[in-house]
Amino acid sequence: MSGDQSKDWLHGTLDVLVLKALSGGPRHGYAVARWLEDTTGDRLQIEDGSLYPALYRMERKKWVEASWGMSELGRKAKLYRLTPRGRKQLQLETSDWNDYVSIVSLVLLTATGAGPDR
Amino acid sequence: MSVDEEVDAELDFHVAMRIHEYIARGLDPEAARRAAMTKFGDLGSTMTTCRALGYQREREMQRHEYLSELMQDIRLAMRQLRRLPVFGCVAVSILAIGIGTTTAIFSAAEAVVLRPLPYAHADRLAMVFDRWHDVDGNAAAGNYAEWQRRSTSFDQLAAADFGNMTVASGDSPERVVGAQVTANFFTTLGVRPAVGRVFTAAEDHPNPNVAVLSDGLWRRDFGGDRDAVGKTIRLNGTSYLIVGVMPAGFDPTSSGEELWTPAGFTGEQLTDRDNHHYVVIGLLKPGATIDRAQSELTSIARDMEKEYPQTNTGYAVHVRSQKDVIVGDNRTWLFLLLGAVGSVLLIACGNVANLLLARGASRAKEFAIRTAIGAGRGRIIRQLMTENLVLGAAAAVLGVGVAWAGVRLLVAAAPAGIPRLEMTRIDGTALGFALMIAIVCSVIFGLVPALRAGSTDLHGVIKEGTRTAMASTRDRARTALVGIEIAVALMLLVGAGLLIRSAIYVARINPGFEMDGLFTARVALGQPAQGDGVAEAEQTFDRIVTALKSRPEIAAAALTSQAPLGFAGTSNGLVPEGRPRTIAYAIQSQLRMVTPGYLAAMHIPLVAGRDISDADVRGAMRVIVVSEALARKAWPNESAIGKRIACCEGTDADPRWKTVVGVAADVHSNGPTQDVGPEFYLPMAQAPSDAWMWVSRAMTVVARARHGDGAALAPVIRAVVKDADPAAPVYQAATMKEQLRTNLAATRFTLILLTVLGGAGLLLAITGVYSVIAYFVSLRTPEVAVRMALGATAFDVVALLSWQGAGAIIGGLVAGAMASLWVTQFLQSFLVGVRPRDPVTMIASIGVVALVAAAATVIPARRATGVNPATALHG
Repeated sequence: MSGDQSKDWLHGTLDVLVLKALSGGPRHGYAVARWLEDTTGDRLQIEDGSLYPALYRMERKKWVEASWGMSELGRKAKLYRLTPRGRKQLQLETSDWNDYVSIVSLVLLTATGAGPDR
Repeated sequence: MSVDEEVDAELDFHVAMRIHEYIARGLDPEAARRAAMTKFGDLGSTMTTCRALGYQREREMQRHEYLSELMQDIRLAMRQLRRLPVFGCVAVSILAIGIGTTTAIFSAAEAVVLRPLPYAHADRLAMVFDRWHDVDGNAAAGNYAEWQRRSTSFDQLAAADFGNMTVASGDSPERVVGAQVTANFFTTLGVRPAVGRVFTAAEDHPNPNVAVLSDGLWRRDFGGDRDAVGKTIRLNGTSYLIVGVMPAGFDPTSSGEELWTPAGFTGEQLTDRDNHHYVVIGLLKPGATIDRAQSELTSIARDMEKEYPQTNTGYAVHVRSQKDVIVGDNRTWLFLLLGAVGSVLLIACGNVANLLLARGASRAKEFAIRTAIGAGRGRIIRQLMTENLVLGAAAAVLGVGVAWAGVRLLVAAAPAGIPRLEMTRIDGTALGFALMIAIVCSVIFGLVPALRAGSTDLHGVIKEGTRTAMASTRDRARTALVGIEIAVALMLLVGAGLLIRSAIYVARINPGFEMDGLFTARVALGQPAQGDGVAEAEQTFDRIVTALKSRPEIAAAALTSQAPLGFAGTSNGLVPEGRPRTIAYAIQSQLRMVTPGYLAAMHIPLVAGRDISDADVRGAMRVIVVSEALARKAWPNESAIGKRIACCEGTDADPRWKTVVGVAADVHSNGPTQDVGPEFYLPMAQAPSDAWMWVSRAMTVVARARHGDGAALAPVIRAVVKDADPAAPVYQAATMKEQLRTNLAATRFTLILLTVLGGAGLLLAITGVYSVIAYFVSLRTPEVAVRMALGATAFDVVALLSWQGAGAIIGGLVAGAMASLWVTQFLQSFLVGVRPRDPVTMIASIGVVALVAAAATVIPARRATGVNPATALHG
């Protein structure tokens, strides 16, 4: 995927991707970005900057909470952790996504043919 | 770390990590930095968005934290109150009564005084009076016409002449107050009729015979039928076409008029500057002020004095706002009550503050512990204030209930004649007021204890574990509160005392006639079928008085144009014979037209000469009987008998002399609270023919019952009048004592209210004194026990303990006495026979307060001496 299309598509799903990234345990923003790159084999083109507003928004919604801790390089980093509310949100969005995919798949994979009266 | 710093640090960290990553992949540092920045995207806008989101989150958290702390405080406050149900109930009840009564009186003041009158331009309405020798009077039609022609301050000036009229639409005639008004009367006030129309300019000419009815008359006589407009109604025997009905509550001069007809001035009336009949209402031009209108009309009046010296000498003009005229004395009255009620509220606040202080002492340990575990001083004050507000809120809710009941009681109990009082409601304004004073009270009674709790000496409290460490500072606050309560209570008591003294004085006044068994009723004759009707009126009234005298229930009966307590006509230009006929010598006197035997029937003593007799008829020598006050004024240091005076008829060139044949004792004819003025009695059989027009062909029957209070005479008089003239209405029938009660109702009502409030204030203040002294004593019980054990007498101990309360009591008395000297001036208009700074009242009030306060001091002290030393020392 490329260009504007990718951005639109991303906007709605960035939150759930970040939630998923955090579901394995607390991570700082850079680690979230790296996890997404590693998991997708760099096929997802996300600007690093767009992660942070998503994180801050979710912090406001109390899906994640943050605390300052020590990073690998001995620098202070802000660590994000899923809250119970965030975990529930992740489940909800995952199951919504699965429903969506199966419905779209159903449509796309059904063979088309002329109707009896056309 | 602030939000900005956090965002910067976080993004810095991210970029640093990227650079580190790219260097590890083999880029040189500068290329790694550029790649990291490209990968990041727009750093500036990301930073801005994140900062904004971060601040939003921070604000939400603070708000949430604040709310949860507040909820916590409120829950804590409720738990505190529940834990002490007696304290809670007492405090809330005291405050609820205070808030409720204050709100009730405020609502009444709002309805009567503050709310604008229900007219389109209420703030521009003014009343204009012909002022003669500093007395505001009605205006002469000629003067009204000149004002209208010459003044520029008014958009419109309207005139109205009020009088009683006999209305006949059913079988029994009815007597109502009516007004002859100029056609612009209604438009000046800006009130439209509810049905039909008002008068047209074309109807502002003599005798158009059209009428506008009040809502009340319309409902009584026509059942509220809109078809009444177009029908006719008989007024004083003449048919009038009903053209309109005014809306309910239309009573622009508070005279209770029920119907209006056009004044229809004749050319002659428009130049009459001698007969003062008219109430004048004006609509000021937008932007014109009362003061401007006053100065303009003053100069017009001066011009007219020069142009018409015969009629206008000595006359000035007085312009007053209409609201001022109508609300008048009620303003003082209501604010007086509001002040009194507010004082009781203040004392109630003092008592609640005292209760809170006492509780603050027992909670000292709780606060100390909370401070020790990290609660700031502000936090504790906030929690205490929340508790007080919860207390205040509960009191406000209950208080609104009290106010609602109070308003109903006030409206039911208040004397008649207070305009708009019945419109008192507990509305949004009243609720707002109740809420406001609840908050103010919470602050007043809560602030001192709260601040005190915040500055507690922690170490002392925790170490001692008891109240002694706080006793001394707390004592000062409580002592001061008691002093204030005593001062306010003294003020209330002085006010009530002055009114009680007035009431005693009034009760002892000899009205000048005998009230017992005296009954009076008004009788109005219809319009004469022909001629001036003088002979026919005299004959009818003669028949009535003769019939009354023959009744066995009646010991004596007579007629008068107006009995005492009713407003008699005045004669301005009374000049004794031999003096220049100028204003300087003219006496203003009340005149009463009477039948022979009036003085005897009233038991008014004759001081000299003789009473009016059956021989004093037309054609015989014209005679009058004068009151002592008039005799003194007209002929000082001389006998009045045989002297002559001109009045009531004739001209300056051809005066009709009346010879004084008797001098009667003075009568308090305007009520016992009013001064005695000059009066004279004129025989009905010698009355000038236009006298019947002055009195609107109505006379008052006075009859003295042979037995009882006279109330049984009502049907007798009605029957006699019906016999003599079936079309003549009998009205205002009542015993003289009932009329006196009505006359004094307002004074009595104020007296009762102030006395009750004074008593309540005193009671509350004394409760405060008692509780504080009892508290002091309880602190010193161990010390007392030691003293007693060492041989002190009970007297020594009581004296010692009482001394502690004495300072507050004496201070309060001194402050209260000084405040009273200032406050009593507002009572001036309610006092009769006693000056505002009456020393007797002041000393008696101080005595009562001092005595009761002393008792409240000595009783707990005395009780301390009875404590067993062993219990006091070990327990």
